[in-house]
Amino acid sequence: MKNPYLPLPMRIEKITVETEDRSLRTFSLSFLNKADAEAFGFVPGQFAEVHVFGQGEAPFGIASSPLVKDRVEFTVNRIPGGIVTTALHNAREGDIVGLRGPLGNGYPVQEFEGKDVVIIGGGFAFTTLRSLTWYILANRERFGKLTVLYGAREPGLLLYKDELAAWQKRDDLELILTVDRGREGWQGKVGVVPAVLKEAAPSAANAYAVVCGPPIMIRFTLPVLQELGFPPERVIMSLEMRMKCGLGMCGRCNIGHKYVCKDGPVFTLAELSELPAEY
Amino acid sequence: MGTTEKIREIAAGLLREGKVDVVIGYGPGTLPLRSTPLFARTVEEAERLIWDATCGNNLAVYLPGRKDRVGIVVKGCDSRAVVQLIHENQIAREQVFVIGVPCAGIIDGRQVEAAVEREIRAAREEGPELVVEGDGWSRRFNREEVLYGACRVCRHNNPVLYDALAGEPLPSRDGGPTLVEVWEKKPAEERRDFILSEMARCIRCYACRNACPMCYCTECFVDCSTPRWLGRATDAGENLFFQIGRVLHLAGRCVACGACSRACPMHIELGLLLGKMNKDVLELFGHEAGLNPEEPPALNAFRPDDPETFLLGK
Amino acid sequence: MTINAIIVKKERVNDFLNALRAGYRLYAPVAGQAGPVFAPVNGGTGWPWPAGNTLKSAKEVFLPQTEVLFTYRTSPDGVQVEEARVEGRGVLLGVRPCDARSLTMLDKVFAGEGVRDPYYTARRENTVVLGLACNEPGGTCFCTSLGGSPFGTAGCDLLWVDLGDRYLVRVLTERGKALVEGRPEFGPAGDADLAAARELEEGALGRLGTVPVQGVKERLDRLFTDPLWDRVYEKCLGCGTCTYLCPTCHCFDLTDEVVDGVGVRLRTWDACMYPLFTLHASGHNPRPTQKERFRQRIMHKFKYFVDNFRETACVGCGRCVRYCPVNIDIRSVLAQISAGEGGSAQ
Repeated sequence: MKNPYLPLPMRIEKITVETEDRSLRTFSLSFLNKADAEAFGFVPGQFAEVHVFGQGEAPFGIASSPLVKDRVEFTVNRIPGGIVTTALHNAREGDIVGLRGPLGNGYPVQEFEGKDVVIIGGGFAFTTLRSLTWYILANRERFGKLTVLYGAREPGLLLYKDELAAWQKRDDLELILTVDRGREGWQGKVGVVPAVLKEAAPSAANAYAVVCGPPIMIRFTLPVLQELGFPPERVIMSLEMRMKCGLGMCGRCNIGHKYVCKDGPVFTLAELSELPAEY
Repeated sequence: MGTTEKIREIAAGLLREGKVDVVIGYGPGTLPLRSTPLFARTVEEAERLIWDATCGNNLAVYLPGRKDRVGIVVKGCDSRAVVQLIHENQIAREQVFVIGVPCAGIIDGRQVEAAVEREIRAAREEGPELVVEGDGWSRRFNREEVLYGACRVCRHNNPVLYDALAGEPLPSRDGGPTLVEVWEKKPAEERRDFILSEMARCIRCYACRNACPMCYCTECFVDCSTPRWLGRATDAGENLFFQIGRVLHLAGRCVACGACSRACPMHIELGLLLGKMNKDVLELFGHEAGLNPEEPPALNAFRPDDPETFLLGK
Repeated sequence: MTINAIIVKKERVNDFLNALRAGYRLYAPVAGQAGPVFAPVNGGTGWPWPAGNTLKSAKEVFLPQTEVLFTYRTSPDGVQVEEARVEGRGVLLGVRPCDARSLTMLDKVFAGEGVRDPYYTARRENTVVLGLACNEPGGTCFCTSLGGSPFGTAGCDLLWVDLGDRYLVRVLTERGKALVEGRPEFGPAGDADLAAARELEEGALGRLGTVPVQGVKERLDRLFTDPLWDRVYEKCLGCGTCTYLCPTCHCFDLTDEVVDGVGVRLRTWDACMYPLFTLHASGHNPRPTQKERFRQRIMHKFKYFVDNFRETACVGCGRCVRYCPVNIDIRSVLAQISAGEGGSAQ
């Protein structure tokens, strides 16, 4: 029997400081064992437990595209007092870490085929949405119109700035960037994500909305989506919970009878409405 | 009027006149020799309050952090906890109406169970005696024989703080050596072996900590991750670290109510470590926690003649 | 399988257990300061078994409170991981039907259809369960209210019934049969033995209290925001006593330690009763007060587990009732829910 608690050995190949305040870094990991690299396949929206040896493990959404075979990327926010995030931010390229994954259920990309996809992200929750965007772009003909709305508090806090710039130039997606607070030189919109969404008013006909962001953004975005006519079955959300095993056994990440690590982290709004509001 | 009736009368009056939002007292338990905390918010609920020799819980544990006005039933030891909590600004004096009950000692159900070696199905006090019954058997004890060890030598059985007294003050006890005095005489190896064997049994349920009114920290040192003071393994070494940490954090604050050792499902002799700590504080600083509403806690105050052996060698 | 009930006289029990010791590690209820607990039997056979139930449940034989999952050493080139191995065969002796039944529930979590826990699964595969029927259920026992029985066989490979000077042994599985087949200590059970066992069973069933649990699951489906929860949690100290003594509670934590330069991945029991259990790194806590945490306990055992596995995660062993420091009685809570009452003062 495969032991689901054992980590795959990985090397930190590249560390990219994403934000001006240096609170967010992207870690690009390679597999030490070729067999692990070949066996590792995931769906956007899935996560993995990253193990800093001697310190601990923490769950992070996979930020890289599933079509990139030899690298797995995570963007990590340093939490003051957090053992793993602090250790990762102190790590160097070349360091060895462990990986357990992929875990969770991922975005229902099969259902998106033939449909329009409206991706709405806020802050550093954009990680798995970046994975999803790359996936759709790599399989472009299978999907309809692709709209990506991504907002942050200020320009310096946007992730993947180089990629955003490249996406801006493409004509097979509409990228709308916004910040709560603009500054000189900022070319994109200024306004909170829900307001910009309302203004953009993407069509809900034959479309899915994929939403990932801080609770306050979600709270104000959902009513806008409802107004635009997105039914709860086609509003897709990715949730966070404190996690340990990632396998649905340690009992801590449940919402009602569902485990966010195993039955989630991706849920439709319709599914969430059936569950107790305890998340 | 008996104590139970007096408590009910006081509690009902407080609730009827809207002087408190809740009276925290004792109600009948669902098991023999047990009572249970009761949160009475109406006059009808206050009619269920009781007082007897099973009222062992220290209800002051429910005070820290409360925003409402509370009536609370306290024994002597519990009242010391209320005083200490007021000293430590965990509850305001004006917030509590203290219903003091002079205490004749609490029955140790575990001692009774051990003595009869069978399951007890019913128990009742009859004057100075305790009658316990099981399947086809019945036995009487002199209540004094089956009190908690700490209760038998209790010097503070009358509440030190109260707004109303629900019974006549009782003579304090002063007899016999305490558990600590017995153990202090034993050789070091025996003490060490005993403590380690007690610690090996600990399952880190934290019932002791959570039953203690003085353990109100929102983040206990065991939960701190940076720095991580101790690990989660339940071996004797880690368990000892937890218990010693807790004892040290209670220095000058423990009111010797015994709630911790009564809560412990593994019957660990917690009173030994805490009793020793209390004894040391009394000898070094002449202080016992929660006895004097006016006097600040020992380790929060400084006197020029405080011993400073670690600094000055005297 | 032809044999299904045999007899062993009490004076032969140690002979049987001593013979077992040659091939199996024996785990039995061992008397302790606060009550019997399951422990490996070192020397002797661990028999006779104590009356009543153990203080801690049998789950710790399969899911130890502290367990090393693997160790590791890192170097610039990589990491060497050494998995902890579960070795050897064992026999769990003298386990009561409630605890044996709880193992079948833990199986659904750890050894179910999806990903399996290799450590728990190995122990379950390697350990024969020798149950002991309860001739005298305790005052806090309520197994029959939850689909169990003092003479229940769920989770047992063998069920022993104490008939006074001998045991009737019900052989329930091939694995149980392998332990006793051909052993000289055992002989065929006669009608009188079976009748004696039946009479004891009826007596035991008659002694058990019942707890009204009809409709609890259906009511809980609608009770999440009910004011009942505002009162019923109030006494709860938020300790882990109920969780750790409970045979079906299975929550755990995973941490890393470094011991003498070697990394250790540790699994330790955890409890939903603690505030840290669901605390997010952001500081947000979906269960910020004891009210939510107490509700979670009841909901998990009597609704969520039923939603996922069609079984109630409570075997009615009564330990939580007996050992709760403030006498929160789950039987009263269930009765309140079943009767549709709001929360009460105690």
